[in-house]
Amino acid sequence: MRPNDRSYLDSHEWAKIDGNIVTVGISDFAVEQLGELVYLDLPEAGATFIAGEAFGEVESVKAVSDLNCPVVGEVIEVNSDLCDNLEDLQNNPFEGGWLMKVKIDGDNLDGMLDLAAYEELVSSQS
Amino acid sequence: MVPFAGWSMPVDYGSILNEAKAVREGSGVFDVSHMARFVFRGDDVATKLDYALGGCITDQPVGVARYTMLLQDDAGILDDLLTYRLADDEFMLVVNASNRERDWDLLAERLDGVECSDLTEDGGGILALQGPESLNVLRKLSGDDNFAPAFLGLGEIETNFGTLFFARTGYTGEHGYELFPSAEQIVPLWMSLMSLDVTPVGLGSRDILRLEAALPLYGHEIHENITPFDAGLRFGVRGWKTRDFIGGDALRALPEPDKHLIGFTCEKRIPREGYNVLCDGEIVGTICSGAMSVVLGKPIATAYVPKNVDGDFSIDFRGKPHAATCVDLPFVPHRSRD
Repeated sequence: MRPNDRSYLDSHEWAKIDGNIVTVGISDFAVEQLGELVYLDLPEAGATFIAGEAFGEVESVKAVSDLNCPVVGEVIEVNSDLCDNLEDLQNNPFEGGWLMKVKIDGDNLDGMLDLAAYEELVSSQS
Repeated sequence: MVPFAGWSMPVDYGSILNEAKAVREGSGVFDVSHMARFVFRGDDVATKLDYALGGCITDQPVGVARYTMLLQDDAGILDDLLTYRLADDEFMLVVNASNRERDWDLLAERLDGVECSDLTEDGGGILALQGPESLNVLRKLSGDDNFAPAFLGLGEIETNFGTLFFARTGYTGEHGYELFPSAEQIVPLWMSLMSLDVTPVGLGSRDILRLEAALPLYGHEIHENITPFDAGLRFGVRGWKTRDFIGGDALRALPEPDKHLIGFTCEKRIPREGYNVLCDGEIVGTICSGAMSVVLGKPIATAYVPKNVDGDFSIDFRGKPHAATCVDLPFVPHRSRD
């Protein structure tokens, strides 16, 4: 089951808002489509991104894909252990496989997909 | 499933890496029925094929397969293929699916007067059974414990769904077979192989296995701007010094190639087609193919670079250079003759 407590991008990232902190990850569908993961590149804390900008890369045996930042803000924490434990991302993309936390300034998640809209997108791409 | 040359093909049946390991350690089967099968018949078919293709065909024995290429007048490679001599006056050619129409038109033109049939969509197909256990699998399938065909040999085995045509050929560098079931045989054959614990293998693993063995892929290591000499495929144009064939005059006039195909290994990230290769910081070539090697446990790749280039190699991964180590090809020794 995909969690209903967050928003999704059509490029398969998710964002969960808690006050002015947004946790960012990629969905189970993204992980499944990529297949066996080999590499993850994440930014350093302190980096700033605008919405839609690539903040890192994820690579599998099959393909390499940009990771797109859903919000404008500054990275305050990175799940850097994940880069050496890709199975956590593979197996648990919504919890232990989170990628980074971004501090936002007045931004919100408007324009992202809610769960129902994301489910519809996924079923159209399956 | 992905679209490929008008066919729908499985990239994997669950795990690209596990499927590749299965072929190296046991046995795997690929459904390569998308590959085009042409049959040519006629009294002088061998002589005409000898002129139409890069390889020597006139001395190819009946019951043997050979690797060769279809060349342009300037010796650029239009496709690579296998020729199977079925009889004195009959050959089957298996060519890449993506080149089927062009090859067919060109061969029909070059083989004027020869009877040509395209069997690709006759309902039958090709199942490539590959890996060190493949001999035992066919012994079980046929009930013949003495079954032991020669490398590149063609033949028939008896099965409970009839006589099955095979060749001891493949695209993995392993001991293996390509089986040519009829429309009635292909499903029972697949089911029999599954019941004998053969692993089904998709396109993703096929690419890893052929690259580990440094077997060229059309559109990557070979294409119209590459000659057989550039690609290190002299064995595919046997007799080139003296034979009369399309591309022969150009081959004889060529200077020594100034570039060569080399292999790289690197860490973690997989070089992809088109990435730049640098030597001491200067761009010297682009990646032809890259994959995760299951035997070496690290990424591997091929690229053409000028012969005189030497130094510290790196590969540009989307703006970030990572060190790469130059290694001899093939990455994994061939066991296809074992």
